Amino acid sequence: MVTDPAGTPGPARSRPDRRRRLGRGGRPSAVLVLVAVAVAVVFLAPLAYLVVRVVGEGSGLDAVVDRERSLRALGNSLRLAGAVSLTAATIGTGLAWLTTRTDVPLRRLWAVLAPLPLVVPSFVGAAALLAAVAPGGLIDELAPGLGVDRLPEVEGFGGAWFVLSLFTYPYVYLPVAARLASLSPSLEESARLLGRRPVQVFRTVVLPQTATAIWAGTLLVFLYVVSDFGAVAQLRYRTLTVEIYDSRLFNQPEALFLGLVLAVVALLVVALERRAQRHRAVVEVARTKRALIVPLGRWRWPATAMASVVAVSALLGPLAVLGYWSVRGFVAGNERARPDLGELVEPAVATGALGLGAAALTIAVVLPVAYLTARHRSRLGGVVNAAVVGGFALPGLIVALAAVYWTLQGPTWTARFYQTVPMLLAAYAIHFGAQGLRAAQVAVGAVPRRLDDAARTLGAGRWRRLRTVELPLMVPGLLAGAGLVMLSTMKELPATLLLRPTTFDTLAVHVWSARENARWADTGTAALVLVGVSGVLTWLLVLRHAERLD
Amino acid sequence: MRSSRTPTIALSLTALLGLGLAACGDDAETAASDGEAPGTTAAGDEGGDAGGGTLTVYSGRDEELIGPLLEDFATETGIDVEVRYGSTAEMALLIETEGDRSPADVFISQSPGAVGFLEDNGLLGQVPEETLDLVATEDHAEDGSWVGLTGRVRTLVYNTDNVTEDELPDSVLDLVDPAFADRIGVAPGNGSFQDFVSGMRVELGDDETTAFLEGLAANDPTTYDGNTAILEAVGRGEVDFGLINHYYKFQELAEGVDSPTALHFFEPGDLGGLILVSAASIVATNDAGTAAEDLVAFLLSEESQTYFAEETQEYPLIEGVEASDELPPLDETVSLRIDFEDLGGLDETEALIQASGIDG
Repeated sequence: MVTDPAGTPGPARSRPDRRRRLGRGGRPSAVLVLVAVAVAVVFLAPLAYLVVRVVGEGSGLDAVVDRERSLRALGNSLRLAGAVSLTAATIGTGLAWLTTRTDVPLRRLWAVLAPLPLVVPSFVGAAALLAAVAPGGLIDELAPGLGVDRLPEVEGFGGAWFVLSLFTYPYVYLPVAARLASLSPSLEESARLLGRRPVQVFRTVVLPQTATAIWAGTLLVFLYVVSDFGAVAQLRYRTLTVEIYDSRLFNQPEALFLGLVLAVVALLVVALERRAQRHRAVVEVARTKRALIVPLGRWRWPATAMASVVAVSALLGPLAVLGYWSVRGFVAGNERARPDLGELVEPAVATGALGLGAAALTIAVVLPVAYLTARHRSRLGGVVNAAVVGGFALPGLIVALAAVYWTLQGPTWTARFYQTVPMLLAAYAIHFGAQGLRAAQVAVGAVPRRLDDAARTLGAGRWRRLRTVELPLMVPGLLAGAGLVMLSTMKELPATLLLRPTTFDTLAVHVWSARENARWADTGTAALVLVGVSGVLTWLLVLRHAERLD
Repeated sequence: MRSSRTPTIALSLTALLGLGLAACGDDAETAASDGEAPGTTAAGDEGGDAGGGTLTVYSGRDEELIGPLLEDFATETGIDVEVRYGSTAEMALLIETEGDRSPADVFISQSPGAVGFLEDNGLLGQVPEETLDLVATEDHAEDGSWVGLTGRVRTLVYNTDNVTEDELPDSVLDLVDPAFADRIGVAPGNGSFQDFVSGMRVELGDDETTAFLEGLAANDPTTYDGNTAILEAVGRGEVDFGLINHYYKFQELAEGVDSPTALHFFEPGDLGGLILVSAASIVATNDAGTAAEDLVAFLLSEESQTYFAEETQEYPLIEGVEASDELPPLDETVSLRIDFEDLGGLDETEALIQASGIDG
């Protein structure tokens, strides 16, 4: 067990020290720079594809692009992304604190449920929520006497905001929970000894210490919302991604151009965020004794109510609808409609394997970038960061088509990878690299260099310091990132459809094709299996570790 | 900064190791797969004839709807068939992006629009004459770029609680009547609605089509992302009417869903009852030889067409196979079929839909 040699770690103490290091910190080594540049080049492939195709389409953009319409769609994208970011950050942070730092009843249950809404594909999640809460839907039917004359319609901006907030807060939850699990409780302890109430402790001590993790997740939410198609299409809110999908076949030049606009906007957002982060206090972590548990007192039950509301609306409610579809098919459907569970075994295994593979590959690839960008503040770091993170705003379809294009345009040896598992994993890593990187940056940034110095003084070699000092401290953060990538991969659709080997089937593909062809029973069954598999893997990969730290 | 070099190298190695492992996995993968991977020498070029090669099918039709037939074909002929299932539009985009290195030999599409897209890009080969002759002339392309496999009919689904029979319109053109204001659900981004509009353009011309779309838009229809969502919305009573393909309601019945919805078929010959054909094409990059042609012919065999009629509740397109009793007979109730070749630029259709403001 590593303990902080200084005894009392704290933002107040480490801040000036850290600032100096970030500002004039040494140059990154040549190898690190080389690897980071190589990674950036790969991650820029989708952008390069868009540029090449748009230029190839030639001039006359005015003829193909409806400017007014596109600008309105862009405005919609940004407005929705901003609003969802705010709520997702609130929900994610609140839940993370409740499940890691308080004595809220059923704490473990909430911890297991909280990350899972991320794995519900947004098109089916939105459909299930609609089926439940829309006027004339299941709730209306089962409880007509609720006293509500007509339930509010879930659609447009409000509907998209509601649904996407529920399905994206895990992007904030996982990094923040990981951060809280590895924070030293000493400051909180002092605050409490000084008589601060839980809410005050949260505001004045916990929040500042988790700020980097909250930011890390919130930017991911923003970019995800910009890229999402499934939910906004269901809920009738015309974002730029909807415009891209609508014109992808009939007006390809417009779709490509709008894709490029999306990419540029994303790069700007990422660059701005990095600028804004420049003067943020950096908090260092230490693995210490058991984390401090705040007794909630009379807030126990309101807190439980909040956790329940989120769990029910984001996960249990949609799952209940999916379960209802599934059972209805088994009970009332004819032979053809009845779901075949045996058919789902292979896809379930494939889905889990792909999720784990993509998570491992992604973390391995982004870790050097995380070192470059979190330890050194260079222009190059900014560029690499933008390349990896900004790409997350692109719809999966564009990332997949770019992968197709470059693999087949490239030298002969790249074409041999076409539609193989490695290529599919690479596409996932490019698409979801942002998630791994944001989490890894938080993890790397939180390792106190003093520990390194101390270990070096004691004669530990570099390898050994990495293995025994840095990695153990980074593990919760890296696992949170791996968890995000894994869950995203397991529900991924466009790249999976285009790039998987033909013999390869995933659960998300099953859910989608069933939904597309009005096979409700199959939709529900496959989606339930998907959530089940991801629940087990999340527990094994992410949560069990956090529990051990307790 | 000598001190930081070692872990940097270590991290880089981790990354390379990750990629390396992935690459190893690939070698095994590629070695085990067929000789058709792009970039390798085309050893399997004539393989189709001998039955030893691989036939690669990109299918925009659901596995549930066509998978069993493709398996039968593989068993009967000994040809190794690899099928990639996806949405019709995405499969067409995939073939377009792959260009002349596409592994695809046969493309099966759910609706004609995507076929037009590939044809415009010169990416389709030819279905042999004798296969084309199996279906009526309006159900295949004159130049053989596609041949219809099955038909789905456009219908109006309505909520039986909120709609009385005398409210049901004879023609889809009646939907511009103010009586339908705020009561209709459509899916303007969906292929089948776009194909319906394309059909209207062929039949009525762009001016009348525009007038219809604007009239529909004036009734402020609610938009959905597809047929399934419209059917659900009509069931909830969110909208009273919806324009969908007939197939979805039949699937709902098969699922045992007890919803207050029913299908209304428009008057014989009305544009609203347009038949949309799912089609098969041979891709320009076909390197499976005659195996591709054999497959298309197989899908138009009596055996396959009977399968479609019975199992997927679609209209068979060859002579001598009858549609299900539950469907209105093709020649009586729905007589209008559009030769989509007359359409020219399908992007025009999309432009008309967008200009009408139907999708907000």
